[in-house]
Amino acid sequence: MAIYNAEHRRLMEMFYPEEHEDYSQVLSSLGKFMEKEILPLSSKFDTGEAQIKGARKGLFEQGLSQIAFPTEFGGLGLPFCVYSNAIELLGTADASIALSVEIHNAVAEGIHRFGSSEQSKKYLPRILSGKSLASFTLTEPASGSDAATMATTATKKGGEYSINGSKMFITNAGDADLYLAFAKTSKGPSCFIIEAPNPGLSFGADLKKMGMRGSRTSEVVFSDCRVPEENLVGEEGKGADYAKEILHGARIIVAALNVGIARIAYDKSLAYAKQRKAFGKTISEFQLIREKIADMKAGISAGRLLYFYASRIREMGGDYSSEASQAKVFATEMSLKVCDDAIQIQGGYGYTTDDVHRHWRDARLLTIGEGTSEVLRMLISRRELASSQ
Amino acid sequence: MKIAVCVKHAVDEAELKVDSGGNPQLAGAASKMSTFDKNAVEEALRVKAAHSGEVVVISVGTSDAKKTLKEALAMGADRGVLIGADPLVVDTIYTARLLAAAIAKGGQYDIVLCSEGSSDSYSGLVPPMLAEVLGLPYIGYVRKLEITGQSAKAERSLEDSVEVVEAPLPFVASVVSEINEPRYPTLIQIMQAGKKPMEELSPQTLAPDAKALGSMVASMKAQAMARKRVVFEGPPGDVAKKLLDALTTEGVLPK
Repeated sequence: MAIYNAEHRRLMEMFYPEEHEDYSQVLSSLGKFMEKEILPLSSKFDTGEAQIKGARKGLFEQGLSQIAFPTEFGGLGLPFCVYSNAIELLGTADASIALSVEIHNAVAEGIHRFGSSEQSKKYLPRILSGKSLASFTLTEPASGSDAATMATTATKKGGEYSINGSKMFITNAGDADLYLAFAKTSKGPSCFIIEAPNPGLSFGADLKKMGMRGSRTSEVVFSDCRVPEENLVGEEGKGADYAKEILHGARIIVAALNVGIARIAYDKSLAYAKQRKAFGKTISEFQLIREKIADMKAGISAGRLLYFYASRIREMGGDYSSEASQAKVFATEMSLKVCDDAIQIQGGYGYTTDDVHRHWRDARLLTIGEGTSEVLRMLISRRELASSQ
Repeated sequence: MKIAVCVKHAVDEAELKVDSGGNPQLAGAASKMSTFDKNAVEEALRVKAAHSGEVVVISVGTSDAKKTLKEALAMGADRGVLIGADPLVVDTIYTARLLAAAIAKGGQYDIVLCSEGSSDSYSGLVPPMLAEVLGLPYIGYVRKLEITGQSAKAERSLEDSVEVVEAPLPFVASVVSEINEPRYPTLIQIMQAGKKPMEELSPQTLAPDAKALGSMVASMKAQAMARKRVVFEGPPGDVAKKLLDALTTEGVLPK
């Protein structure tokens, strides 16, 4: 199986008539790396028989995190779309590594867009090369997309801030070397870079998740966690705006990741349908299975176009927040349906085989994480209603 | 140490589609660097790392073959040479003569590496032909290569034995896939590969006298491997016994 295939290649050619060959070479090389180093281990990451650390390190060494960042900070200066496509490929190879890497990169994006140039110079090369793993810590036990209600506080004492509170459902917690943390000062939600280890930083037990089991997720606790004042990102009180902006970009990436999950579930069930026999013929001969195959394929293609479209608007400097939300709502729900159909096509084997139902379990997170489908529909409809007046 | 590696931009056999008449759909088929050529490039890079020098990748191909040359450059080769001719049209002796002309034109090479065969047509003819045209010793099917001073020691992977041979430099060798694990170029190396020098040569100016023998591929058909599809039924013990008997009868297991 070629993870980067002719369909991707054709889209790249359509979107980038001049440079597509270079981009395809980059993506094809990444795809080959994933086929060999990640895909064969994917089901073991789910069962805990293998850990993602080594494979993730390999991806960083290949340069996955460098793709869409400027060369002056150790990036490759390629379009965002090349990065989102890379995450689709990674979603196909293994969703939990894709999640871990995507969060890691969201931190780099936050520092790059809202931090000082000193902060970018100090942290971006470390993050983009993967020498430091990063974690995005926004959600709290009682505060999600309504970030302004966060209870974690940051109090300035002398030349440093003391952060107190806790964050919930944090990907890469415990493994990460850098935490982009959001906490309220007297001026409101603010954003900080915390380097681990830090005596005021501790972690809860790993959460027992339904899917995405290769990536670590736990509570992050700050108790008098001291951070030097130069680690404040941007201005005090603007943290909620920064988080919102970072999440808009991350939603495109989550859409891409889900297209990748749907693709692997689809490929497996298509292969199964072609060889499984019932009533003397392969089940792919039956119209009801064919209907599923057609719908699955159309969903994957549509999801891919949506995230390409949102990526391209972003590259061209437009407001892509609604398109990013549309891509995420569509792609996450599409991939859940595709994974469900994949189980249905594979029948009893679908329900009992880790390697089939794990895709559904992985996909299930992403109508929740980084903005629930409900919140995103609110965002999309709000803009539609505002602009139609 | 100056090393030439001959590489082919080949049809990607994993993505090749065959029509109902058994004809491979070559027009517009996906392509890639011939699988084992990566091992040849890798081996050249390892020799260079140990002895320093230069690795030049040479290909007979259409402009599409620049992708393969670029991939070899991304892996770490120093420069590329493209001889513009369609490998699906030229025959093996002509390919070997063109490669030999480019190698002779490039000066004194110490080692010329090829792979055992291309992953699309897999005739395996070009490497020995090339050695013959260049008048150099040939070591085929190399699974291990050691260079000491001006001589090489190689293990040849043959069907039922391993042969250890020695040869003075310069020589031509073809490698098998077990010789090494080709590296993945990093993305930054891929982006920078375009900046490395790539020379384009035309067959007419490079080797105006080189001739093809005129042996051409007349037709190509996909081969369907018929399976016996034998199913044994019954209790596991009986089935296992039947399977053992069948495997012995077929000669898979010794009698």
